[in-house]
Amino acid sequence: MGSDGRRTAISAAIFAIIVIALLVVGGLYVRGLIAQSFDIANRLTDARALAINALSYQVDEETGLRGYQATHQHAFLEPYLRSKPGFGPNLARLEAALPSLDLLDAKPAVDDLGTVNAHYLREVAAPLSTANPPANALALEALGKADVDRFRGDVRTIGLVIDRREIQAQADVRSSIDRIGLLVGAAVLLVLMISLLYGTSQAALATRVERERLRAAEQQHEADVLRTAYLTEKRIADTLQEAFVQRPLPTHPTFRFSATYVPASEEAKVGGDWYDALELPGNRVLFAIGDVTGHGIEAAVTMNRVRQALISSALLDPMPAPLLQRVSRELYTSKAPLVTAVAGFADANTYEFIYASAGHPPPLLIEPGRPPRMLEFGSLPLGAMDDNEYHTHRVQSVPGAMLVLYTDGAIEHSRDVVEGELILLAAAADAARVEPPDPATFIHDTIFAGREIGDDVAILTIGFAADPAVGVRISADRAQTAFSGNIAARLSDAQQRLARKVA
Amino acid sequence: MSSKSIAVIRLSGELEIGRRSEIAQTLVVNGSEAGVLLDFSEVSYADSTSLAELLRFRDEAAKLNVPVVIVIGSKQFARLIQYAGLSHAFRIFDNRAEALTDLSGAAHE
Repeated sequence: MGSDGRRTAISAAIFAIIVIALLVVGGLYVRGLIAQSFDIANRLTDARALAINALSYQVDEETGLRGYQATHQHAFLEPYLRSKPGFGPNLARLEAALPSLDLLDAKPAVDDLGTVNAHYLREVAAPLSTANPPANALALEALGKADVDRFRGDVRTIGLVIDRREIQAQADVRSSIDRIGLLVGAAVLLVLMISLLYGTSQAALATRVERERLRAAEQQHEADVLRTAYLTEKRIADTLQEAFVQRPLPTHPTFRFSATYVPASEEAKVGGDWYDALELPGNRVLFAIGDVTGHGIEAAVTMNRVRQALISSALLDPMPAPLLQRVSRELYTSKAPLVTAVAGFADANTYEFIYASAGHPPPLLIEPGRPPRMLEFGSLPLGAMDDNEYHTHRVQSVPGAMLVLYTDGAIEHSRDVVEGELILLAAAADAARVEPPDPATFIHDTIFAGREIGDDVAILTIGFAADPAVGVRISADRAQTAFSGNIAARLSDAQQRLARKVA
Repeated sequence: MSSKSIAVIRLSGELEIGRRSEIAQTLVVNGSEAGVLLDFSEVSYADSTSLAELLRFRDEAAKLNVPVVIVIGSKQFARLIQYAGLSHAFRIFDNRAEALTDLSGAAHE
């Protein structure tokens, strides 16, 4: 934009200089033409005066001599004597003016003036100006008169030539004026053309400026769109990230929870592994762990959907097999990536773990006084088929028992899952012996001491309190449990009504 | 039925996401087969993406009514098949001869 402005200023300056130069040159030319015309007119007037002067000299000579002839008084000779020396120089000036004034047509008449005057002086004036007048004085006077008449005729001829020349000069002036008109017209036309060109270039410049402005607006719009897209993307990413942040584990007098999640790398932060633990009415807790096939936003979105579906569906009916069937059908219908999961609930009233598995590695159970063991598993991943069948497994356990759920990263570090399971069982046995406050992290750290983490790893443990006094506390809490159950039942009713409505 | 033949699809090594398109292009069924024998006797590992492809293949074969048997050589891969819940989805054998015999019987049923 700055360079365009500079260009405009330069164009305007050049334009002004051309116009001024044109006016100056035109003015000088016009001035020259007019001066020349006046000069010619003046000199023609001078030439005409010289011709008339010549006639005056001739007439004065003749008139003087005639007076002298009539009176014989010498005083009458005075005009003759005065005029005689002036004639020659006057005629010489007239002759000299002829070529430059283009009056050569008058040259014969001018020459004749000299001839006539000479004839007059020689043949008439010389005899008549003597003291004794000749006998043929009258004849000489008649001859002198004839010379004067011839002289008049020559002067008239010269006057006609000068008249013609004046007419021509006037025509020249007129044509000059016409030429000046043409010149002015041409100048005006040129100025107009330059103005037009300048205007056009200004218009082109304005168009370009407008185009630039539009392009800038367009770029701004694109930037806005990109910014919006970026903000949307960021919001999604933030939401996913937020969603990915695992819910805080419940605190419950009967249950002991611990969990850990370690992503494989920073890029895999938005991954597909998750775990959930949620308090249910009736001294029960819902648990779930899962892994969505793949990584990235799609995996994270699916993970979030499955989590929400599992929790909302579990509030309607926590029985694991139908729970997984419902979620699986939803995933299959929406063509979502496959998901492996273990979901179920722990019941502190009966010390039972009730769960179902969908294509997920087996849950691990640690019980006091027994070596850790893998529990039953199987069935297809969630979303694999429309009519996946799942089985609800009930595991009767004891106070102090702990269920260990994990994702495949915990056992696939060496690609040998059989060995991976053995390492996990060993880590679980260590945890049973050490009784760390955070068994999940302990197990993770034990497995990966000296091993590289190749995939996301999530571990969730759900344990029953070992303290027998807890059972007493459960009884004491019965009223509250019943109350919670009542609320849950009412909530459940409302949700079932909503579900029916949606269906 | 008798004009159809048994197709053998063989994959080996570690089946992971990097080989996804190869696996998808290999695991193809079009209904002209009397049965498909998946020879995975030299497969030692399969990630969840590959297992998902295997499930897709099983689904397509079921729709086309083509019986599928699978030969598994390594206990690691067998365990992964168990994890995926596929041990009930396929008839599993640890050698090719038994698998072929079973498949021939199924094809002539």
